[in-house]
Amino acid sequence: MPSLKSLPIAGQQKLWRSVDEHATPPAPARELGPSTPPDDATSRRNVLQLLGASAALATLGGCLKQPDEKILPYTKQPPEITPGNPLHYATASLIDGRATGLLVTANEGRPTKVEGNPEHPSSRGAVGHLEQAEVLRLYDPQRLKVVQNRAVARSWRDFLQAAVYQARGLRLRQGEGLRFLLEPNSSPLIGQLRQRLRDTFPRARFSTWSAVPLQHIHDGAQLAFGAAYETRLDLSQASVVLSLDSDLLAALPGTLPAMAAWAEKRDPSRGPMGRLYAVETNLTVTGMNADHRLRLKPTELQRFGLALLGRLGALVPALSPYAILTQRFALAPPAAKFADALARDLVKAGRGALVSVGPRQPPALHAAAHAINTALGSACAKLAQPVLHDMDAGPRTLRQLTEEMRSGAVDTLVITAWNPVYGAPADLNFSKALSLVPHSVYRTLHYDETADRAEWVIPSLHPLESWGDARAHDGTVTFQQPLISPLYGGATEAEVLAAFLGEGDRSAYVQLRELWQSRQPDGFAMRWEKWLGDGFIEGTATKAETPAVRHDQILAAAVQVPPSDPATPGLQVNVVPDYRIWDGRFGNVAWLQEFPDPVNKLTWGNAAQISPETARKLGVAQNDGVDLGLRGTPVHASVVIEPGHADDCVTVSMGYGRRGDGEALCRGLGFDVSALRSSEAPWFGPGLSVTRMGRKAPVAQTQEHHSMEGRLIAALTTLPKLKETSEELAEHRGPTLTAHRPHEYPGYKWGMAIDLSRCTGCSSCMVACVSENNIPVVGREQVIKSREMHWLRVDRYFVGDDLGNPGVVFQPLACVHCEFAPCEYVCPVNATVHSDEGLNEMVYNRCIGTRYCSNNCPYKVRRFNFFSYTSNYGDIEKMVFNPDVTVRARGVMEKCTYCVQRIERARIRTRLEERRIRDGELRTACQQACPAEAIVFGDLNDPSSKVRKLHREERSYDLLHELGTRPRTAYLARVMNPNPELAS
Amino acid sequence: MTESALDARARLEPPRLIQGEHDDGTLNKTLNDFVWRAPPPGWFTLLLIGMAGTGVLFFAISVTLAYGIGMWGNNIPVGWAFGIINFVWWIGIGHAGTLISAILLLFQQKWRTSINRFAEAMTIFAVMQAGLFPVLHTGRPWFAYWMIPYPTVQSVWPQFKSPLMWDVFAVSTYFTTSLLFWYIGLIPDLASLRDATYSRRARRIYGIFALGWRGSARHWHHYKIAYLLLAGLATPLVLSVHTIVSWDFALSILPGWHTTIFPPYFVAGAVFSGFAMVLTLIIPARRYMGLKHVVTERHLDNMAKVMLCTGLIVAYGYVMEHFAAWYSGNLYEEHVFFSTRPRGPYAWAYFTQMFCNVVVPQIFWLRWARRNIWTLWVGAVLVNVGMWFERFNIIVTSLHQDFIPSNWAMYYPTWVDFSLLFGTICFFGTLFLLFLKYLPAVAVAEVKELNHELHGDRPYSGGPHA
Amino acid sequence: MSALFKPSSNTAFRVALVAIAVVLGGGLVAGPMIYVRSPFFTQQEDPVDQPVQFDHRHHVGDEGIDCRYCHYLVEKSPFAGVPPTSVCLNCHEQIWNKSPKLAPVRESYFADRPIVWNKVNKLPHFVYFNHSIHVRQGVGCVTCHGRIDEMPQVEKAQSLYMGWCLDCHRQPEKYLRPREQVTSMTYKPKGDQLAIGRELKEQYHVDTRTSCTTCHR
Repeated sequence: MPSLKSLPIAGQQKLWRSVDEHATPPAPARELGPSTPPDDATSRRNVLQLLGASAALATLGGCLKQPDEKILPYTKQPPEITPGNPLHYATASLIDGRATGLLVTANEGRPTKVEGNPEHPSSRGAVGHLEQAEVLRLYDPQRLKVVQNRAVARSWRDFLQAAVYQARGLRLRQGEGLRFLLEPNSSPLIGQLRQRLRDTFPRARFSTWSAVPLQHIHDGAQLAFGAAYETRLDLSQASVVLSLDSDLLAALPGTLPAMAAWAEKRDPSRGPMGRLYAVETNLTVTGMNADHRLRLKPTELQRFGLALLGRLGALVPALSPYAILTQRFALAPPAAKFADALARDLVKAGRGALVSVGPRQPPALHAAAHAINTALGSACAKLAQPVLHDMDAGPRTLRQLTEEMRSGAVDTLVITAWNPVYGAPADLNFSKALSLVPHSVYRTLHYDETADRAEWVIPSLHPLESWGDARAHDGTVTFQQPLISPLYGGATEAEVLAAFLGEGDRSAYVQLRELWQSRQPDGFAMRWEKWLGDGFIEGTATKAETPAVRHDQILAAAVQVPPSDPATPGLQVNVVPDYRIWDGRFGNVAWLQEFPDPVNKLTWGNAAQISPETARKLGVAQNDGVDLGLRGTPVHASVVIEPGHADDCVTVSMGYGRRGDGEALCRGLGFDVSALRSSEAPWFGPGLSVTRMGRKAPVAQTQEHHSMEGRLIAALTTLPKLKETSEELAEHRGPTLTAHRPHEYPGYKWGMAIDLSRCTGCSSCMVACVSENNIPVVGREQVIKSREMHWLRVDRYFVGDDLGNPGVVFQPLACVHCEFAPCEYVCPVNATVHSDEGLNEMVYNRCIGTRYCSNNCPYKVRRFNFFSYTSNYGDIEKMVFNPDVTVRARGVMEKCTYCVQRIERARIRTRLEERRIRDGELRTACQQACPAEAIVFGDLNDPSSKVRKLHREERSYDLLHELGTRPRTAYLARVMNPNPELAS
Repeated sequence: MTESALDARARLEPPRLIQGEHDDGTLNKTLNDFVWRAPPPGWFTLLLIGMAGTGVLFFAISVTLAYGIGMWGNNIPVGWAFGIINFVWWIGIGHAGTLISAILLLFQQKWRTSINRFAEAMTIFAVMQAGLFPVLHTGRPWFAYWMIPYPTVQSVWPQFKSPLMWDVFAVSTYFTTSLLFWYIGLIPDLASLRDATYSRRARRIYGIFALGWRGSARHWHHYKIAYLLLAGLATPLVLSVHTIVSWDFALSILPGWHTTIFPPYFVAGAVFSGFAMVLTLIIPARRYMGLKHVVTERHLDNMAKVMLCTGLIVAYGYVMEHFAAWYSGNLYEEHVFFSTRPRGPYAWAYFTQMFCNVVVPQIFWLRWARRNIWTLWVGAVLVNVGMWFERFNIIVTSLHQDFIPSNWAMYYPTWVDFSLLFGTICFFGTLFLLFLKYLPAVAVAEVKELNHELHGDRPYSGGPHA
Repeated sequence: MSALFKPSSNTAFRVALVAIAVVLGGGLVAGPMIYVRSPFFTQQEDPVDQPVQFDHRHHVGDEGIDCRYCHYLVEKSPFAGVPPTSVCLNCHEQIWNKSPKLAPVRESYFADRPIVWNKVNKLPHFVYFNHSIHVRQGVGCVTCHGRIDEMPQVEKAQSLYMGWCLDCHRQPEKYLRPREQVTSMTYKPKGDQLAIGRELKEQYHVDTRTSCTTCHR
């Protein structure tokens, strides 16, 4: 029995769920019988009211008698819970088997906010948008609730019996015909289970599948070192970085530390600036941040890499054998110039050089990168044993499995990988094969395409409901602990696998604890408590190694690569994982559907992204409907014209065009790209045909105008020009001539600073804001009407004359809390007023919705509830609300408040302790999430505060300063560090 | 020689204000005739259409209240659209009434007499339409009463710095004054209606509203004073109301709104559209109600002149806006006046406005155009259209592209928006038809008085009088 | 032709005018304003029935149990907290442990089902009130909750209108008392409340705020 300090839930299951559960006898938590969601609606609503999380009556609160309300106290209050004060627990989220350390806030047992675990190496307090959305995914009412056998509701026990029976038969046959299709996984617990299953069923086989496979990385390492290795990025020492289609600055799983380190390199006040080169097809977040960017057709990337290797051969003795590649892979003039300069720059950088290759690129290119990094002695690319049990995940292994399935060699198939029927390339026809397998088990969060064809469908537990362990991207062992008892019941992966060892009744918690007890017997109780408290085991990161590079092999592979495309005319297809919903697994998460793609600001669907030049050639315009054909039936897509995209190819993102019955939210949005993928060419290939449908198919974009119209909005400069720019910016900060009587701010004086140079535009802050402030999701139609509600948006502008390859600058923009706010004096009812600390306050319950404030806001950061966007929330969905923030009613204006609820909590806490709020003690949600620490919030009266220093920085300026609004949010100009050789 | 001189003089003489030979009896007869006559089928048809449209209006209102402003096309950045456009448009139309009744009275313009009743009624009905929108366009109309200053249990007050606050006072005062003015003017006529009818019921009703008017000298004495006082009271309102409405925009910082020329140019615009609406209505009315002898070409001619004059002021306003934008060299101002409006996606609205409000009125330099019923009527209708689009351009076009380009977005009205515009027009028409039927469309008493002024007691002797 | 109106109709007319004025003015303006201030609307002085007839007179008055024994969250949480059933049992395991009056309490404890109390002091959901800070700064329980020790059934003592809150937030010295006296039901200031209040305001660094976000977020 672990102590209660580390977790509220251990052992005492009845404490898991929120207070309200006690209103009704809790359904047996682990019994997965056909039980509908607990019908304690009334009690749960009461609790929410008690917590002030529901404002359904807010509009009437002022003028009608108040309805009767109930209070439900605990019967026996758990010692660690103080109703009204939230608790934070360390846990982890898994994407493709790797863990990101999280710190989750729980209010009376309701997880309401996901933040990064400050101690954890994979997050360091920051967090990406995918992880943050987990909390909404948890409360998704469309989750699968009941075990099913061929669409008939059954109980978990039924499944266990079936599994045991099945296992008995299999054991006799040594596990002949038993196959497991797992997600990439690094969990020691799963590892041990796999081992035990192998022992019990020697003939059983495991395959791993992910729609975003790591197969090429694996093969590349095999080629370069003769063994599987992964590259660990450490950008703290980087000075020149080349990204070959490697999106290391988007807030995706595993990139957070790299982003933090790189941000330091982009701040001119912190020593020498780093320089980033990007070579890619479609504009990525990393590409938007590159000092120099080269756009190539997908199939050209590999040749460019090898050509670069050739050039380096001429400069670096260790690489001399590769020199021949320069002639073999001749580059077009611009690319050649780029490569020459790049090669010299890399050599100059030496230890600070890094070539990073994206998982979509072929093995030879990965190998080439390994060669370069090792030869240059790069300190930024460390090699280590892969943390995953099985890196070789992808179409190759899936093809083997599918062939076996067709041949009838598979009699029992256990699937825990996410939705292979949807994700598998079309040519494999996995769904057909699956229907041929007599016995199949599929564990899933939703009733999706695969569930449709499986024999047994087991609801999976949400990460925030599960016990488990996994390794972080650097190998650190990380623990998952539940914050709430299963809402619908379900099973973890470990429990499903254990069922085939006849141990299905052993909960994941028991298994996990026993495993770790056996590994660390002495003083276990103490350690266990610490581990769960920290969320991970210190010092378990896998060590870096320096394997020998097999240059001959790499060269051999390199010369195999054809020097130029077999002349295939026409377009190439380029498939990429989606920034919002990854491979589709987050498709049913409304926050992420409405989360604008950081690059093209697209929401609620995918599109055919093409360059302006190609659009001209094809004679298509933005929002035109087109058919994309590549063998098989064509898919309908809308055109989105994307400056900076390579010509003669079309980029489409994964995860859309869903068909599953269980996911009403994402069903029918966008189109399915699996028809455009094949197991040979899962990512890109030639032969794409684009035909106009002759009708418009509008997309929902949150930003439609992409030029700054020559106004000083997001300041952009280069390192050499920094001096004069800052002189220019001096005009754009500080007091202006005004008729207003200036306010006095004796106490705190809140302010914010946003460093555009650190910001990568990843937009993780937006989801943080949505989650913290109960911001409603409005849906596709409303976004098209430009009624999205995001308080914080990340504007993206293209600069420069070359529309083909423009410069990009982005700007997170929320209410800037003007000291002379135009919104304040026009409100007829005093609903938006100035606080004694300089906040521009928005009082929802006073607002009558004239919208005058929004009209008069030059930044247009105010949002209006055109409809009642939350009234249709079910009781489960309401549990996601932050009880500290009013849920706004219809007809009310709202906007960023600088997270005033956090300010007030901090104020009261510190007043009880009779002290002032310390700098850094109080952080806004966006600031907390930002992986690049681009957002800083604090007290401008505090002489030592960071925000005050930044406001005085030479790069800082006020947005629309000439209007005399005196914004409290200062921006710091974005500085680029171009290579003089290429700067033209 | 002398003959020709006389002819010439005759030609220079403006047409008479009252055509033909009349005494009180005939005037009573002709002017009240429409009230007694069974209404023509045309009246019924129009009333039917009007009421149907009113139904549409109330349906659209219910939809708005039930589901929210989301049913309109408004969005962020375009927070105001049809709602406020219609409000300003109707308020503007309302202005002709007060101008004619108050200012022309003080200036002793005799020609106002035959049209003031008409214009005042129009004012009241127009302001009623306008009054709908400020409440309706709020997100939570049921709390609109928070705009009224009164001691609340929250001990908070409205924000007196906000122009919307001033609107509340301006518009309500304007409505009250216009109503009183209209009613006072009606009293003698109500009395004569009371005395003329045979049906007891009608007599009672008219009697009650006639407030026991007996036309005694004392009555007339008080009546004149009250009328003059109200005129004095109403005169500043003509200028204040639309000045304050213009401040809703001028006091903001939005390019295209933040303009010092607004108050005069809004007032002129209001009178402009007001007279246009009077003409639109009176031209058919005088034809079908047989009022040609009191609403003569001379009246139409004068109204056309007022339109021409105010139209020129409005045109000057446009020019100044653009000049100021250019002269200020302000990036945002220039963008609105030289990119967004003339070259942006709503350019068509801009040019409609310019054509209707600047080009069309110029035709009224020509006497024949002022005297020709058809040109006059078509011109007036076009001006009303133009003035609506002027407000569209000020509000929507300025908002949809403001300071920060990433905000920019298009605005598209929905069926509810159109229903509200169409509905208010019908509601207005309905009220007006009822007015024409049940009350004298022309201030009979005043016309009689004028008739006496013109010809003294002696019966009209024909020929130009000195 | 007979007269249309009798002479009396003048009077009738004038009366009618006055009547209309009264109805409009009184009915639509004064009436509601009085109504919302009436205890009937604010639900003051209106004892609320509870599942368990808990008598504060006895517990607070006779036994002199400090408020914080049961409402022990009041100093560290926004909620004063209706005590968990276990707290009742602390005493009532020993005394009155057979009393039928307490059956619901025992039932709740052993069946682990909360007692469903009826809320007495309701705030709108957009109001964020924090007990801990108020108690800390020397606002007495009695100031807002009234003489609980004299209530057989708890009732709402104050209107809880925003105006009422602001009264104290604008001039706290009118109500402040020494911290150690916060839970006292009978505390009377020795001397001039305003003087004492100002003193305490200094001493406790009370700076009451009237910015909207102090309570509305």
